[in-house]
Amino acid sequence: MMKDKKFRFNLNFVNTNRSYFFLALILICGLFMKNFYTAYNVCAVTGNGSLVIWLGLGFTICLIAGHMDLTVMYMSTLGALLCLGLHTINGIPWGLSILLATLSGVAVGLINGILVTKFKIHSFIVTLGMQFVLKGLMYIYTGGAELSIGRDYALNDALNAKVGFLPFSLYFVITTAVIFLVMVVLRYTRFGRNIYMVGGNLETAWLAGIKSNLVTTLTFTISSTACALGGALNGIYSGSASITMGEKGISPLMIALTASIIGGTSIYGGKGSVVWTWVALVAIAFLKSLCKKTELQVLVIAAILILCIFYETLAQYRKNKVVGTRPNLHLEYLEETGKKA
Amino acid sequence: MSEKIKATPNEPEKVDSRKTEISRFSLIFNKLGIYVVVILLTFLGMIVSKGQFFTAGNIQSILEAVALIGMVSAGLLFVVYAGNMNDMSIPMTMALGGMMTVQCINFGFPVALLVGIATGALIGLINGFMIGKLRANPIIWTWGFNLLLSGIVRVTWGGKQLYADTVARDTDFAQKSAATFYSIARTYLGSFISLMAIVMIVMFLVSWFIHAKTKFGQKLKIIGTSYDVARFSGINCTKMLIITYTICSVCASIGGIFFAALRKTASYENGTGYDFSCLTAVLLGGVLLNGGKGSVVGAFGGVLAYGILNNILSWVGLDTYSKYLVQGIVFLFIVWLNTYSNRKLGKA
Repeated sequence: MMKDKKFRFNLNFVNTNRSYFFLALILICGLFMKNFYTAYNVCAVTGNGSLVIWLGLGFTICLIAGHMDLTVMYMSTLGALLCLGLHTINGIPWGLSILLATLSGVAVGLINGILVTKFKIHSFIVTLGMQFVLKGLMYIYTGGAELSIGRDYALNDALNAKVGFLPFSLYFVITTAVIFLVMVVLRYTRFGRNIYMVGGNLETAWLAGIKSNLVTTLTFTISSTACALGGALNGIYSGSASITMGEKGISPLMIALTASIIGGTSIYGGKGSVVWTWVALVAIAFLKSLCKKTELQVLVIAAILILCIFYETLAQYRKNKVVGTRPNLHLEYLEETGKKA
Repeated sequence: MSEKIKATPNEPEKVDSRKTEISRFSLIFNKLGIYVVVILLTFLGMIVSKGQFFTAGNIQSILEAVALIGMVSAGLLFVVYAGNMNDMSIPMTMALGGMMTVQCINFGFPVALLVGIATGALIGLINGFMIGKLRANPIIWTWGFNLLLSGIVRVTWGGKQLYADTVARDTDFAQKSAATFYSIARTYLGSFISLMAIVMIVMFLVSWFIHAKTKFGQKLKIIGTSYDVARFSGINCTKMLIITYTICSVCASIGGIFFAALRKTASYENGTGYDFSCLTAVLLGGVLLNGGKGSVVGAFGGVLAYGILNNILSWVGLDTYSKYLVQGIVFLFIVWLNTYSNRKLGKA
């Protein structure tokens, strides 16, 4: 008999939706800042944070499939450099150069996927090596120079313009649309469910008849493609691209990792959502505008990341401790004998 | 009585002769194959450099370049050997070790050195507790911890670079210890063997002793091969992993101190990229990524091979950035070879 229906603080609910609470916390803190809720600030913050959202998308999908993709950062830089380079140096129209940049992402993703599935190397190590390959390729392509979009500002203006009455730029709206598209694919299609299956338990998925190698390869391909496309759009949006695009301050790769983990994507794979990552990334974008000093940003983001990892680890540790035991044996006994506690 | 299930009659007994042959080759490759590569690379170096490979200056530069990687690899070896892939917190351990040493230079050089090493030991203890006791994911935890340390260091020192002679007070004692700090990376015994190379070799000797001659090394092999088996056979895995990570971080901090002395500055960017290059060297030396196989002698060969390869690439005339491409491809190839021989040995 549930006699007293007291309000109980549901920690599990808080934990599942922690990215929303994080965003809410940041937005509440924003109330005390000057010029935080102006249309210009919101537009700039979300627009500048969009690149990391693409990276977070790629990283989260790979994490759901039980792998890690560290190439996301350099992939987006390569996409941006290729897109701008093909347009300004070779004179190829925007549409084609964006397409070619995206195709480079497809190629790298396929290589990653094949190295992981066919050559059976751990994904972390593969992408760690591919990072350096991509870095070298970019230096050979540009010679270390910074590329800009020259005088062709038409597309740049279009991406920077606000959409209707919303205080968001077109770039951010495209990003968000892609995120929700991927969310629908992950949640409602057979392929999307297969990614969760493969991440949850590879052997079970294989025994259930899922082509796990194909799914893993496609996951890596989607991740790299999204990053290349996002990078290309970011190059046009910001008007310039250089190899050190992400290396100032805090590395975008770390932000993508942090957001994935804050969003509740499991480190062990098989659980998570792209939308949670998106919410966490928007929150981090606002956090960056909240505290302007790079040093403080690094510390705050790192502290949140460590807190989340620590919590997850402790929860797993507690769970492992009672595995195979019956912690409420006494209650069971009382129930069986009909006595009341 | 339970019946024995007999195999179908007249079926010849299956003997997988292939497996033993391949595994013997793989074992030899794992153990000493790297020295063949070292000799080949040396010959290649002699051809590429047109006979200037064995000049005192070149050997000195190889040893200096190798020394830092070698110092860190001597510790990282144990982490890889215990089946924990990589310690991603090496860059900040190196940076923090150097920075703490420079910060405490006023108390004299030996005290500063001890403080730097103690910082490394503390980081290792935290890593070891989280991974050994609470079973955190080794990569994610060390990576996140690296970011946290970076944040703490950047806020504390405001992202500035530290110089030993400006940090030191205007007393004779402090200035003298600062000068000693700078000189440790520039001391040469004989004509061209630097102190750093000797420290590296001593560290490798110590880690060889720990790895091959003590109970610790034998237990670590079981942990690396199978964590559960080790736990059920009564090995205190928590303690072992804590010691492993402490050794790794202490070695990294010693490397960081020498790095700071060599560059004359200590900043949060000091150790960037060392996690990757040291892992390459260790894997080149035949330590398996999944843990449980490998030797310190092989890892030393791997470090030498990595240094000679870098030296040859400079002789060929590649700039720093094109080197990234070659290093990445070499890394991927080595890891593939590593995994391949691992699979042939029957460990997935």
